[in-house]
Amino acid sequence: MNNGRKIKVLVSVIGLDGHFTGAQIVSRFLMDAGMEVVYLGIYQTPEMIVRAAIDESVDVIGISSHASNYGQIGLLIDLMKKNDLVDVPLICGGTIPKGEAEALIKRGVSKIFPPQSTSESIIEYIVSCARG
Amino acid sequence: MISMTVQKILNGDRRTAARLIRDIDDGIPGTREILKAIHRHTGKAYVIGITGSPGVGKSTLVDQMIHGLRRSGKTVGVLAIDPTSPFSGGAILGDRIRMQRHSLDDGVFIRSLATRGQFGGLTQSTRSAIDVLDAMGKDYIIVETVGVGQDEVDIARSADTTVIVVVPGMGDHIQAIKAGIFEVGDIFVINKSDRPDAEKTLHDLRALFDIARKKLTGEGWEPPILMAEAASNRGIAELLDEIEKHRKSRKTLSHETVIHRKQAVARDELIDMIKCRLFQEALDHITSSPEFKIYLDCVTEGTKDPYSACDELLSAKLCFIGDEVNRKPDLQEYLVAQK
Amino acid sequence: MKRETDYGYEIKPVYTPEDIADLDYTKDVGDPGAYPYVRGYHPNGYRNRVWTRRMTAGIGSSKRTNEVLKRYREMGQTQGILVICDRPNAMPIDADHPMGRREAGVLGWHGASLLEFEELMDGIPLTGQSITLLGSSAMSCMRLAYVVALAEKRGMDFREVHGSVTEYPFCSTCGQTDHMPLDLLIKLWMDSSEFIVRNKIHMRSGILSQHFQESGGNNAQALAMEIAQLKELLGLLVNERGLDFDDLSLLPYELVSVGSRFFEEIAKVRALRRMYAKMAKETFKAKTDKACQLLISVHTSGRTMTYQQPLNNIARCAIQTLAGAIAGCTAIDNACLDNAHAEPSAFAARMSLNTQHIVSDETGVTDVTDPLAGSYFVEYLTSRIEEEAYKILKQIEDQGGMTAAVKKGYIHNMMEESARKRQKEIESGERLVVGVNELAIPPEEDDEIPIESVVASDSEEIAERMENWKRKRNIPLLKEAIARVYDDAKKGRNFNLMPSIIEAVKAYGTAGEITGVIRMANGYHYDPLEMIECPFAL
Ligand SMILES: Nc1nc2c(ncn2[C@@H]2O[C@H](COP(=O)(O)OP(=O)(O)OP(=O)(O)O)[C@@H](O)[C@H]2O)c(=O)[nH]1
Ligand SMILES: [Mg+2]
Repeated sequence: MNNGRKIKVLVSVIGLDGHFTGAQIVSRFLMDAGMEVVYLGIYQTPEMIVRAAIDESVDVIGISSHASNYGQIGLLIDLMKKNDLVDVPLICGGTIPKGEAEALIKRGVSKIFPPQSTSESIIEYIVSCARG
Repeated sequence: MISMTVQKILNGDRRTAARLIRDIDDGIPGTREILKAIHRHTGKAYVIGITGSPGVGKSTLVDQMIHGLRRSGKTVGVLAIDPTSPFSGGAILGDRIRMQRHSLDDGVFIRSLATRGQFGGLTQSTRSAIDVLDAMGKDYIIVETVGVGQDEVDIARSADTTVIVVVPGMGDHIQAIKAGIFEVGDIFVINKSDRPDAEKTLHDLRALFDIARKKLTGEGWEPPILMAEAASNRGIAELLDEIEKHRKSRKTLSHETVIHRKQAVARDELIDMIKCRLFQEALDHITSSPEFKIYLDCVTEGTKDPYSACDELLSAKLCFIGDEVNRKPDLQEYLVAQK
Repeated sequence: MKRETDYGYEIKPVYTPEDIADLDYTKDVGDPGAYPYVRGYHPNGYRNRVWTRRMTAGIGSSKRTNEVLKRYREMGQTQGILVICDRPNAMPIDADHPMGRREAGVLGWHGASLLEFEELMDGIPLTGQSITLLGSSAMSCMRLAYVVALAEKRGMDFREVHGSVTEYPFCSTCGQTDHMPLDLLIKLWMDSSEFIVRNKIHMRSGILSQHFQESGGNNAQALAMEIAQLKELLGLLVNERGLDFDDLSLLPYELVSVGSRFFEEIAKVRALRRMYAKMAKETFKAKTDKACQLLISVHTSGRTMTYQQPLNNIARCAIQTLAGAIAGCTAIDNACLDNAHAEPSAFAARMSLNTQHIVSDETGVTDVTDPLAGSYFVEYLTSRIEEEAYKILKQIEDQGGMTAAVKKGYIHNMMEESARKRQKEIESGERLVVGVNELAIPPEEDDEIPIESVVASDSEEIAERMENWKRKRNIPLLKEAIARVYDDAKKGRNFNLMPSIIEAVKAYGTAGEITGVIRMANGYHYDPLEMIECPFAL
């Protein structure tokens, strides 16, 4: 029987960003890698994402961003700290310019995957931080 | 430690409850003790099972039901179960999307679970999760499952009211549900009734009913068939009304029937629990033994056939299989003493 | 490395006359200007008129976008403007909505009211160049009303304005989600289109395959989608609004996404012209030549622009622009070299515009029409992609047409499947992308490019301004206009809302307010996100 934990990941698009294709592709390959993915879809506020992360007791939060709304990601990381979700790594992927990415990392985002990142590298990273 | 966790759950602390459900699901040792401790605080919530084929609109329906129940001031817990991929063991849990508008409502707790395909494991962990939500003090607990497979039928069976959702224009699909879970349905909903053929589906269902009814003992409850359009919140009030009626009808049952039912439910639960535990422990016991390795090598090399290997392993490792059952005389004495 | 088209046809090492033996030049290809228009609509090609070379604008407040437009004019972009809307606009919600506050002006222009359109167009002529506003279907009626209202204010005839401010309702399935229910989007699109056609306004409506393709669809699918969409939408105008197909000929325009698979992209556009012409003639019994011609613009593909080594994107952009130019089109706008990083910076925008001018002025591509006609390979590919597209089109029709296929999730699945396949091909190295899986360099050595930053406080400023300004409007006039929209919206799918929307826009009703009451009249919540309540007593 499966005694080990399954990795559970929350995948969402944030704010008014409507580009869901990326998030769906990521969800799909995480599933194929044996993870359980709670997929929230689009139009999620930072508040809704935090609540879902708590209720679903996930190991990792992944945000796909294609609409330059990094402000929302900043709000999310602040809210995660406020809600004592510091042990849940937040990773982001999509079109995030270098400068913004650096600022977000400083603010507490664990890792940012630029466009054209391989699914392998994303899976590997999630496994390493969820197990470790 | 245990008492603190229990207290937090009784206080409705969602973080603790969420964590516990996760640990149950992952089979972490120690959760059993907490479940034992909270069990006596359960039994107050009313459990509604929602089941039906993929995509018939179950989650949308649940979303609208939450809305309705909240308007009348009730608190709601939801367990949304999606299938695990048999290939990878992973799952995409996508029911929650349809209910996200309630996510910030403190009176609502939504939790997604994957079937994980364990032997009886789904029923087990779902029942435990129901207990947790129940202990949290939720007035209603809605359990959404895809209506395929024995596990799902079992879950549906353990709900206080089971709602079966179908959609128009799926003749074969109605045939399919007839086989498994038709008997356990207390209420039938034809969702997406905005689609053509809704009337025809109603007709088909009624016809099926007439046949099935003959098999069932009359218990004073005729399962109603409702029309709904979950996406536009039509037919939901009626559904909630029927659930309430069904709930009341259960109260008017005779004492014997109630006892009889309780016993049946308790029996199911206990047997499931034993099955699950037994299977897991026995399997672990056998596969971790040195004999297993030896037999495995023999079968691999072809010096032994798998049938004999299985029989010999079982009778060697599990004393009551194959040989005379080796009943311990003191166990019965022990039980008598307990009484 | 795979030697296949992006829709999976295995390419041979050489093509000969045999490959196009079935092709009858007069019947299947024809001269430029002759049916079935594979070679384009004008015998003289670009000698008549070079394609409109333009760039996308739209960021921050209306005033800021206005400055960008003026800067583009100074750079030499005088044939037309192209403005993209922000995310709140696509919902649509106003800047002072709790969610709008955080994102107004972030990804485009926040054009939620006539006031903002006035500011956008300040000092910029409404006529003499094409006016194109893009980015959401739900705003179609609103934007058309802005044009009518502003033209009236400037004392001119709105029929003289040309360009495109309305957009097809299916964008919501293509990764560009509008939050309106599809049926309502279709209804509003029909209203704006009927208004345009009946008033003989020189305005087009975008019926695009670009969103679909940029979200992951392949070339053949995009072609099939485009025809399926046109068939469905033009069919609705004919059947439900009683319009004559020949009068619709000036309505649709297509924005086709052109990537780097040079010959395939050219074949795609050539095939599109033939497929449209055939559909117009055979399905809709078009009587005039004009009605068999689909206006085609090109968008060079943002999806192909890499994050890694962004300066490489200049080369991609040039190849794609050349492909678009050879294929024949009315306008080209470019995804810029910083596409995977941010909104276009002034540097990137200039590079794009220059690229277009290098292609049009230095290569000689404008001298001759459809120069690749007769190439065994290109003619073969043209027929081949058409054949492939017809197969997909048939599948869409078997689902019950475009709307039904969308509702059943068919289109979305097709797009996702194709996106996943592409991702796999890149990861396995079957498709090479320079800087990504070939000739990659460490991130710290990567090109430095200027980044156009979004200022978070911009959104808050836009929101606050709107909040204050809303109170200063003529409230009784506004209430009356909004009530009329609401009442009219209850009169059914085919009651045209344009007249009442125009009045409400003139009374400075906002996108959130006007579409909000239309939603309510149709049984939906006022607010697409269900966070705020309707401020009007109706
Ligand atoms: N036309 C119509 N569509 C509906 C109705 N109710 C739900 N839907 C749509 O049906 C699709 C599936 O709905 P869900 O609620 O996710 O269905 P489900 O049964 O929970 O699906 P699974 O959990 O995947 O098995 C969604 O696109 C809904 O919007 C309805 O009454 N009419
Ligand atoms: Mg569901």
